[in-house]
Amino acid sequence: MEKSKIHPDQMYIEGLASNNSAVIQSIYKKFVPKVVYFIKNNSGDEDQAQDVVQEVMILLFNQAKANTLQLTCPFDAYFFLLCKRRWLNELKKTSNKGVTINEDLVSVKESTQEMILQTEAFDEKQQLFDMMFQKLGDKCKELLQWSFTLKSMEEVAEKLDVTYGYVRKKKSLCVGQLTQWIQEAQIYKSLKK
Amino acid sequence: MNEEMYILFDQYLQNEMTIEERTNFERQLAEDELMASSFEAFKEMHFQLANKFGIAQEREAFKANLKTISEANFKSAQPKVIQFKPWYFAAAASVAVLFGLFFFNQNADPNFEDFNHPEQAYFTERGNLDAVLKQAEGAFNTKNYKTAIPLFETVLKEKKTPEIQYFYGIALLEENQFAKAETVFNELKSGTSAYKEKALWYLALSKLKQKDYKACKQILETISQDYENYDDVQELLEELD
Repeated sequence: MEKSKIHPDQMYIEGLASNNSAVIQSIYKKFVPKVVYFIKNNSGDEDQAQDVVQEVMILLFNQAKANTLQLTCPFDAYFFLLCKRRWLNELKKTSNKGVTINEDLVSVKESTQEMILQTEAFDEKQQLFDMMFQKLGDKCKELLQWSFTLKSMEEVAEKLDVTYGYVRKKKSLCVGQLTQWIQEAQIYKSLKK
Repeated sequence: MNEEMYILFDQYLQNEMTIEERTNFERQLAEDELMASSFEAFKEMHFQLANKFGIAQEREAFKANLKTISEANFKSAQPKVIQFKPWYFAAAASVAVLFGLFFFNQNADPNFEDFNHPEQAYFTERGNLDAVLKQAEGAFNTKNYKTAIPLFETVLKEKKTPEIQYFYGIALLEENQFAKAETVFNELKSGTSAYKEKALWYLALSKLKQKDYKACKQILETISQDYENYDDVQELLEELD
């Protein structure tokens, strides 16, 4: 993506990534009331609105931290639609009412559309990954957690009181197991479509 | 599961292959579509793991900060979060009386009790709310700090968040375990969470409780004016002068 195309509102993304209270506060002041208004007018209450907003903020934090969030559209519409679509999806899950959630995307600019789909895809991938990670055995979970927290595999070996060779091999196999499950899930998903 | 393949992937990513092995590996990838897509998925898993664990601490700090800001913004329209109870008025009134008495007594040094108003713990980790954490919360809110301490310790072994550490620190301080309390607050102080300034305030209160007025003052002077209860800080500073 070209640098020149990045929208000035990228500052909100950077602010979230650096846990800047002033920026978070300004998002709450400027953009959140609209979301709350929408959710309250669509069978939700304040608590639910608060939850949706927090979930979307955490999602943006994660995506920004992964360096895959470069805003090419205004933050306003992007943030509002992410919250709105998340809420409508929630409603769809709890009630059996058919909610069409793609119509609102047609009415916005292409860049906004694209950004929203990107963020939702990031969310979906992360959720799928989390689900697969939970399926791993405790040994794998622990080893992976240390492998990605500590600086070197030598430290991991020391921490778990096993040999370096063992942690290296075990780590490859645990990541391998995840890889295999994800690939299977992706094949299953594409068959379903 | 193709174990050999995953070990090979890892070696490649860790840069542990000779030039010849690398070339071989890359040629294999180019020729074998299935292997290439597995390798992509393997790299994606590395990316996800790094995101999940590599920034876990920062994420917790962000969540805690977000929660604080969110509640402050929703609070005005939401009496449920404030939990306004009549006895709060009674508490507020008695604090006012205490302060009143205090000002009559100009010569006395300020004391810990006047400035110690721990807030209620209110852990709302959604989903699997730890039973132990719930117990700790209950014990803390009913001022059973002795009971709360070991409970917090159990939870902290499993899950360390600034919020839990903060309330653990207060409980320790209430029980006069100064060294331990100060270790906790010092750790929070050097972190990035929303509890940074609060930790400084409690560090100062710890010194106050130990009647180390000089240290207390020094710490108070490092608290940022953005701290939500900066009024208290100023008041205590004036008392100390």
